[in-house]
Amino acid sequence: MQVAIASGKGGVGKSTITASLLYLLKDRYKLIAVDADAEAPNLGLLLGVEEWEEEREHFGAKVARINPESCVRCGICYERCPYECIYMDDEGNYVVNELTCEGCNVCGLVCPVPGTITLEQVRSGVIRRATTKYGFPIISAQLDVGKPESGKLVTEEKEWAKKLMDELNLEHMIVDSAAGIGCQVIASLGGADVAILIAEPTPASLSDVQRAYKVVQHFREPAYLIINKADLNPGFTKLGEWAEAEGIPVIGEVPYDRAIPKSMAMLKPVVEVFPESPASKALKEIADVIAEEILG
Amino acid sequence: MQIAVSGGKGGTGKSTVAINLAVELAKRFKLVLADLDVEAPNDHLLLGVDLANEEPVNQFMPRFDYSKCTKCRKCAEVCEEHAIITLKDGTPFLMPTLCSGCRACEIVCPVPGAILEGSRLIGHTYVTETHYGFTLVTGKLREGEERSMPLVVEAKRRARNLDYELMMVDTAAGTGNTVSKAIEGSELLIAVTEPTPLGIHDTELILQLGRLMNLKTWVVVNRADLGDVGRVREIAGRYGAEIVAEIPYSESIVKSYVSGRPIVLEEVPEAEIFRELAEKVANFLGGDE
Ligand code: SF4
Ligand code: SF4
Ligand code: SF4
Ligand code: SF4
Repeated sequence: MQVAIASGKGGVGKSTITASLLYLLKDRYKLIAVDADAEAPNLGLLLGVEEWEEEREHFGAKVARINPESCVRCGICYERCPYECIYMDDEGNYVVNELTCEGCNVCGLVCPVPGTITLEQVRSGVIRRATTKYGFPIISAQLDVGKPESGKLVTEEKEWAKKLMDELNLEHMIVDSAAGIGCQVIASLGGADVAILIAEPTPASLSDVQRAYKVVQHFREPAYLIINKADLNPGFTKLGEWAEAEGIPVIGEVPYDRAIPKSMAMLKPVVEVFPESPASKALKEIADVIAEEILG
Repeated sequence: MQIAVSGGKGGTGKSTVAINLAVELAKRFKLVLADLDVEAPNDHLLLGVDLANEEPVNQFMPRFDYSKCTKCRKCAEVCEEHAIITLKDGTPFLMPTLCSGCRACEIVCPVPGAILEGSRLIGHTYVTETHYGFTLVTGKLREGEERSMPLVVEAKRRARNLDYELMMVDTAAGTGNTVSKAIEGSELLIAVTEPTPLGIHDTELILQLGRLMNLKTWVVVNRADLGDVGRVREIAGRYGAEIVAEIPYSESIVKSYVSGRPIVLEEVPEAEIFRELAEKVANFLGGDE
């Protein structure tokens, strides 16, 4: 089974909760973890990965390049680039900003001098595999700074994970989704059997998770909700009301607990280092619910 | 003038820094704050305002006039997104969700009128007057749409068309090309970080981006008492970035976050930190009269 954990936005404790749930479920199931936040991956760090055993470079991205020798400086490419990625440098040459180019090749098609603009394949990042110190494998990715196509990186991560599941006879893939609702998240949620949403009781988090849920609905996946820092904001009941109105079962509430930042500073799941803390107790209950109701 | 507030990972308090700085800087500059975190725009919530002046962002999508199309397949071949599939005989079909709206197919089609103008709504932009003397521009991607780049470009364009002295952009998390697009054109990048091991890891990425873009970069350490600021300083130093503010973990900030009222409006010590930071930014920009 493939379970995607999403929040619509970072900072609500998604990775901490994911790391803890992986830790709690690892003895009951044969798992594989996928960190699908290719722009800011950190699940590996939280699971104590110090060295990656295998690394694959990904060359999915393309960027345009302009040859200044043959360019006649007509500026057509500059006018036609849909994303405003071409600029004129101090010497009056038209140059592609490789940090923003989407690689669509419109500039190459409109340039009147053949061969002046070429679309080149460039490295977009790496995908890595390791065995965590808890015994289960993890796949993680790192998008190179300023590159497009983070969604493709995530899709490839999941393909690698699926192969490993077959080879190693694993049961469940747990995907820690990226922030946002764009291509990375769509790639994280696509193909998942179940989505677990994580939110905290703030207006911003509610708005983010509502948007993530719309993406989940798009895939028609059943969704569950975990409320983190549940006691942070007692007057704020809209999160629970929303979940009820949408028919999203709330599978647990994790209280705000200083043990969590402490455990993060130690780069360990909170349930491992502070098993008796209120947050850990809540997480244990949640892991049981997940085992019973979702993973079976 | 333009400055950017960013941070490698989400949840570091980037938006908190952006809105509080905006409230303060609006006293000295005619200011526009552009919320370019189009996948999860939240600045309006933190400012306690309802989004206004909605404008749709439509993206081009090809429509085929099959009575004219010669089934030459050129459109499918040129599409970098593989959004056009062709039947055995060459008849093209569009898979709408893959299309990025770039118009490469339209440019390459040799038959006038075979590709018609179609469009799809991919999101909205908003221009909202805040109660704090500045204008907020927000880009919001529609749920289910994959590409945030066109929304970032559109929202920035709408912001640029307003009358302002200083534009401040609040970017998405991460360091992909939509973040570079948001930051592009800035004179100063303010990277908001956390001194936790994870925060430090991500700080390095945003500093790399700042370096690649040749930008003067400052670091604001949020929740500074929850970790090792020395490690942040070390990394910042390696990239020639200076730590300009340290914000402690604060219940008052959490409360202001929840209630939609910027902390700089309160008489609390944290407010002073933001005021000093705004002062520094103003000095840097030369707006200190
Ligand atoms: S490839 Fe596309 S995005 Fe890149 S510079 Fe050319 S037109 Fe612009
Ligand atoms: S369209 Fe071609 S010739 Fe014209 S400015 Fe661009 S690269 Fe140079
Ligand atoms: S507009 Fe661009 S992405 Fe869309 S079908 Fe045409 S070539 Fe492909
Ligand atoms: S390029 Fe134009 S004529 Fe050729 S298959 Fe596409 S739509 Fe038809």
